[in-house]
Amino acid sequence: MIGRRALLVIILLVLISPLFGVVLADMVGYHEPLDVAAEKLGLKEASIEWTPFSDYSIPGLPSTIGYIIAGLIGVGILLGIGYLLVKVVAEKK
Amino acid sequence: MHIPDGFLDPVTIAITYMAFIAYLVVALTRIKVSREKIALVPVLAAGIFAAQMLNWPIPGGTSLHFVGGALAGILLGPFLGFLTLFLVLFIQCLVFHDGGITALGANVLNMAVIDVLVGYGIYKLVTSTLGDNRKSRLIGAFLGGWIGITLAGIACGLEIGFSPSFPYGVLITVPVMGIWHLILGVVEGVITALVVDYLYPRLPQLLLMQQSLSEGSQE
Repeated sequence: MIGRRALLVIILLVLISPLFGVVLADMVGYHEPLDVAAEKLGLKEASIEWTPFSDYSIPGLPSTIGYIIAGLIGVGILLGIGYLLVKVVAEKK
Repeated sequence: MHIPDGFLDPVTIAITYMAFIAYLVVALTRIKVSREKIALVPVLAAGIFAAQMLNWPIPGGTSLHFVGGALAGILLGPFLGFLTLFLVLFIQCLVFHDGGITALGANVLNMAVIDVLVGYGIYKLVTSTLGDNRKSRLIGAFLGGWIGITLAGIACGLEIGFSPSFPYGVLITVPVMGIWHLILGVVEGVITALVVDYLYPRLPQLLLMQQSLSEGSQE
């Protein structure tokens, strides 16, 4: 299983991530460069929206808190899938 | 570097998807590793995902964030490293719409194949040329991270440049993506070197380089 220290580091990264992904980004008016290019060129991003968590936001939550929760969801899913994979490989052997 | 939907034309989408699926199949058949090593995939995937959320905005509307492909390649090799980045990109795309679904093939190709392979290759080259010591590991990981992300950026420029859906051609997209990633990639190199340097003495069992090199010479 994941080491406690590794988990702590990951959670810490997620906790401070809104500072960079939301606060600083708003301060300098950041948008994903390729998204800006798309907007300028009139390219449309997919009209189909398949996820409620688009761009690391959680509906109804302020963007900073949403960013953290989205981060935790992502980390949780990856650890879940990852360990499933580990289990499958281990059982195969 | 995550290409959104709408940038790529059907031909580019088809080619990049085919390339990434081919690599995925090869990776799945080639993965022969110890349980200890595969146990690192989830941790590294979660760590890279979290690290990618730390955007460093740069006034003027751009930003950089750590990609981590070279790091995964150095730590886990070209196949497990690929699998790690693939998981990250897949979840980013499906759950957070970060990177388009039509561009998933291209994004996987750039960050999970090119960045991983280049990082792995350069690290291996440097550590086998200079000898396996701390200095060569630092240099190898730095160059791997730096050149890996630069080439991934150039590949991204090629894909959107060749795609008729995107109005600028490769003569513009490749230099723009290449130069930006060449400059910002220094940071990727530094982080890659620091993480490898930190993990090396702590997680000897995953240090593929030493392991696979010595295994290779025994065979």
